[in-house]
Amino acid sequence: MITAFIEGPLWYFALLVFLIGVAWRMFAIVRSGSKPDFSVPRRSVAVSAVMTSLRRFVPRHEMSPRIRLHVVAGYMFHLGLFALLLFAAPHVLFLQENLLGFGWTPMPYWAFILVSQIAFAGLLILWLHRLLNPVTRLISDADDHVAAVLTFVVMLTGCLALMEAFTGLRVLHRFTVELLMIYFPFSRLMHAFTFIPSRAYTGALFGRRGVDA
Amino acid sequence: MNNNKPGRIRCAAALYSVLMALFALMLASPFAPQARAGGTEPAAKVVNPGAELWREVRQREAPQAGATQVAGMDSGVLINVRGEQWRQFRMEQLIPATGALMAGVLGIILLFHLVKRGVRLEHGRSGNYLLRFKEIDRILHWYVATVFIFLALTGLILLTGRVVLIPVFGHEVFSVIASASKEGHNLFGPLFLLGLIGLLIRFVSKNFPAKGDLGWFLKAGGFVGGKHPSAGFFNAGEKMWFWLVIFVGLTLSATGLILEFPFFGQDRPMMELSLVLHGVGAVLLIAGLFGHIYVGTAGMEASLESMTSGYVDVNWARQHHDQWAEACEAEGAVIAGEDLKKKQQLRGTKNRVPNRPATEEGQ
Repeated sequence: MITAFIEGPLWYFALLVFLIGVAWRMFAIVRSGSKPDFSVPRRSVAVSAVMTSLRRFVPRHEMSPRIRLHVVAGYMFHLGLFALLLFAAPHVLFLQENLLGFGWTPMPYWAFILVSQIAFAGLLILWLHRLLNPVTRLISDADDHVAAVLTFVVMLTGCLALMEAFTGLRVLHRFTVELLMIYFPFSRLMHAFTFIPSRAYTGALFGRRGVDA
Repeated sequence: MNNNKPGRIRCAAALYSVLMALFALMLASPFAPQARAGGTEPAAKVVNPGAELWREVRQREAPQAGATQVAGMDSGVLINVRGEQWRQFRMEQLIPATGALMAGVLGIILLFHLVKRGVRLEHGRSGNYLLRFKEIDRILHWYVATVFIFLALTGLILLTGRVVLIPVFGHEVFSVIASASKEGHNLFGPLFLLGLIGLLIRFVSKNFPAKGDLGWFLKAGGFVGGKHPSAGFFNAGEKMWFWLVIFVGLTLSATGLILEFPFFGQDRPMMELSLVLHGVGAVLLIAGLFGHIYVGTAGMEASLESMTSGYVDVNWARQHHDQWAEACEAEGAVIAGEDLKKKQQLRGTKNRVPNRPATEEGQ
């Protein structure tokens, strides 16, 4: 009964909250608009937007020594999570059978293990950094910690169910995923969708004024 | 009908004779099921083909490999009695010893705490601080701690779950827990090795034996003789814990990798040895961890701060690491509580200094 609920109504509810919530947040950002700027653009707004979006993938030279660990762990976690989400064999199969109707070549098993280890190490280091660094600790609130713990639990339950031998473990993973999907639109996890528009907006704004961003 | 009666009787008699003869033959045959008690002749030995086959594959004398097309180490051996020996060792020796060691260590810690109430700061807090561990060291410490505790929990479930958890949860639930624990244990094992290498790199230079370490041991860190023995950045007890973590941790990692990737030609004795070393080493390290956690928290006042904020009170440093404290004070590395407060406020932290003494501002 619990399995049927998690794989049925709760799944559709979570999907609905996720899709509508993300769309609503994005629409709210776009709709908030900006003050009209009548000045003559110093640079191409589009080029500045693209350049800033790309440039922000690499930390500024002046900041590099201070945030090296943060950057490395950040890439370990985010790239690892991205790979697990889209290229883990059970995920590819799930997306093919339940959502998209088509699939793609998944990662081999050894790559899955390696990538998940990298992602776990990255997430753990990032969270410890958040707790132990005075600055990140101060600017963090409950939302950040809940998001970190929830993401960790989702990854962990996914890896614990790796043998795919027990329905209970798979359902547990799915339940935690659904919790994450419901929490996602109301949290800073939204940065997964907003980080590119945010960079682009900043780049466009500063580019128009002729300032590097 | 009357004419046929003698013939029918003769036929019945003949049939009866034949049946009796067959029955007599059966009794005389070696396949007769019953033993002849008090018989005049010894019974012929009955060979059960199934039992013979079982005896062959069980290989009580020595492992014998049969012919097979399956490639792999020991793939020709159907049943190896050593597996039973490992099972017996685990069930009859390792698991009871694990329980006894854990309970013993926890009991000693509890007794010590009830009697001594931990080690207090003799002169209270000074309100001045020394930086003991940088941020990278603290991240590394908590990374290793988190991974090890996860490995310890999942490992203990795998080692003792059959005895401890099955009576509580039953076989079905335990099978799910055990499967999850195995996957988690295998996944996090290599992460522990990485952390261990990090610990070795960051702390090895401060953990070599030095003058005074023997004296520290002889005074049992201050429990014998009353006076706290002199120590540098790390005392002899901490050094011993460091090397125990490194050596046992590397052994656990090496044996864990041997067990997790059994396709590099490891034979059965090596796998069994790895299992024993892995289990015994892990239990020792977990027991040591209990002591480490106690000393770092309730067992020694103001110790935990070194691994949370990174700063320790000068009086704590003088009491437990006097040589290091003297060196820091000579270098002028002491930070006044107010300065530390301002420094951390500048960095954006209001409440980072642990248990600051009351100040005019505070009052």
